[in-house]
Amino acid sequence: MDKNVIPVGPYHPLLEEAEYFTLQVDGETVVDIDLEIGWMHRGHEFMSESKTFTQSLYLVERICGICSTSHPIAAVHAMEDVDNIEIPLRARYIRTLVGELERIHSHLLWLGLAGHFIGYDTLWMWAWKYREPVLQMFEIISGNRNHYGMMRIGGVARDVDPSKISKLMDIMDEIEKKIEMIAKAANDDPVLKSRLKGVGVLTKKDAIDFCAVGPTARASGVPIDVRKDEPRDAYDLVDFNIIVTENGDVFDKTVVRLLEIFESIKICKQCLEKLKTVNGGIRNNVKEISAGEGIGRYEAPRGEVFHYVRTDGTNRPVRHKVRAPSYVNIPTFKASCKGIPLADALITLAAVDPCYCCTERSIKIIDKNNESRKIDLLKLSREKTEQIRREMK
Amino acid sequence: MDNYTEFLSLMGDKIVSLVQKEKRIYFEVDNQNIIEIAQHLFNKLGCRLSTATATETYRGIEVLYHFSHDKSGNYFCPRVVMTDKNNPKMNSITPIVRGAEWIEREMSEMLGITFEGHPRPEPLLTGNHPQNIKVPLRKWRSNG
Repeated sequence: MDKNVIPVGPYHPLLEEAEYFTLQVDGETVVDIDLEIGWMHRGHEFMSESKTFTQSLYLVERICGICSTSHPIAAVHAMEDVDNIEIPLRARYIRTLVGELERIHSHLLWLGLAGHFIGYDTLWMWAWKYREPVLQMFEIISGNRNHYGMMRIGGVARDVDPSKISKLMDIMDEIEKKIEMIAKAANDDPVLKSRLKGVGVLTKKDAIDFCAVGPTARASGVPIDVRKDEPRDAYDLVDFNIIVTENGDVFDKTVVRLLEIFESIKICKQCLEKLKTVNGGIRNNVKEISAGEGIGRYEAPRGEVFHYVRTDGTNRPVRHKVRAPSYVNIPTFKASCKGIPLADALITLAAVDPCYCCTERSIKIIDKNNESRKIDLLKLSREKTEQIRREMK
Repeated sequence: MDNYTEFLSLMGDKIVSLVQKEKRIYFEVDNQNIIEIAQHLFNKLGCRLSTATATETYRGIEVLYHFSHDKSGNYFCPRVVMTDKNNPKMNSITPIVRGAEWIEREMSEMLGITFEGHPRPEPLLTGNHPQNIKVPLRKWRSNG
C-alpha cells in the first residue's frame, strides 16, 4: 500500500496556509471527504493579548495577506463596539473604499486561480493582469500594495490625498471596462458553462446548517451580507446590491463573485466622489477603552470576518477571538463534494476560495478498498475541460 | 416587539444574568439550558452561529456562543460558565447546529472542555501532529 502520496505540503515554506484533505473515492466518484486543519498554529489570539489595541491591529492585519484590511476593520469595529465609539464621516468613506478595493483584488485573484484550475489560462492571466491596477490604487492611497496599515480605533491612519482622486477614478473606470470584457467572455463561453454548472452543489439547507458565509452562502440562496445586515462605516450611505443566486454550484459562486466586483466598483466610485466634498478629520482621539465586551465584523471577500474582544480598562485586550470565513466555509466540503466526479473535486474545493492556491498538492485519495492512489487533480480537472471542448467542436 | 424582547419574554426564566447593549445581548445560562437556548435561537429565530469563544476567568472556564440574527443585525451571546477548572464539562450544541462542530472540537483541545453529546469528540488541530502532543494545550496551574 502506497501511503506516502503527498509530494508537497502540508508543511512547506511555499504554502502560506497548509491544509490537508482526504478524499475517499469509489472508482472516479468521491464518496466522502475528511479535513484536517491546524498545520500551522500562529497564536494570533494569544499574541494579541500581550499587545496594545493599536499594536493588535498590525498583528491581525498579518493573519491573511489577501484579507489584510478586513481583519483590522473587524478588529476596530470590535474595539469601538465596547464604548460605541463614533468615527468621522470622511474616515467612514475611506474605510469603505479600502475594504471594497480589497474585495475587487481578492475576487480577481480567485477568478484567475479558478480559470487556471479548469484549464483557462488566458482567464487566469487576464484576471491577474487587471488586478494589478487595484494594487497600484492601494499604493497611491496607503503607500503599500499590501498590508496597508490604514485602520485605527476612531478612524483611519491616513487621509486620501484629494489631488489623487481623479487619477484613482480614472483607474477605476479602466478596471471596470476590463472586468466587463472578462465577464462577457466568460458568459459567452459554452464550455465554461458546461464545465461549472451543476458542479459541487451546496444546497441552501446545507449552507444554513454549516453556518456558511459570504459568496459561498449567497450562491446557495442565503441572503446574508454584513454590509447590509449591520451596515457600519459608509455602507448605509452608498447604493449597492447584494448578489444572491439559487443553485449553489461552482458556476453560481463564480457569477456571485463577478457581479460583486461591479458592485464594489460602484461603491468605490461613490466613496471617491464623496471624498471630493466631505471634509473634516479622519480620526477621533480615543484615549482609552473601558472594561467590557465588543463584537466586530466585516464582510471580507470570502464572507464574514468575526472579532470579539474583552477588555478590562487597560490598554490591551484580555481576550481577542478571531474567526476567519474559511473556518466555517471549508466544512461545507462535507456536503458539496459527496457524489461528485474526481475531476470536479479541485474546482469544488477552490470554489469557496479557501485562501490557498496549492490544494491539489495536499490531497490524499483513498479508494473504497482502502488503497491510496496518487492522482494529479489539477491535470484531471483540466483534462475534463478539454474533453468538453472537443465534444462541442 | 423586537426580537430581543420576544426572546427575553420566552426564555427569560432561563437567563441567570444579562448585559444588553445596542444590537448585542450577552447573557449567562446554566449548562442544562444551553441546548434549549440554542434550539430556540437557531431553529425558531433563524440565527446563524458565527463562532464561540472559550476564556479562562476567575470564576472558571466560560464558553460564549455568538449567534447572529442576520435579518436584524443583532447578536445573541449565551454564556456557560464551568467552575470546575480541572474537569470542565458542558453540553454540546453541535447536534443542533452543525456549524459548531469545529469550534467545539477546538475549544476542547485548547482548554480541555468536554462537550457532552458531541458527535465527533476528537482533536481538530492536533490530530496528526508529528510530535504526538497531549491535549489540552492549556498552561495554567490547577485549582489545587
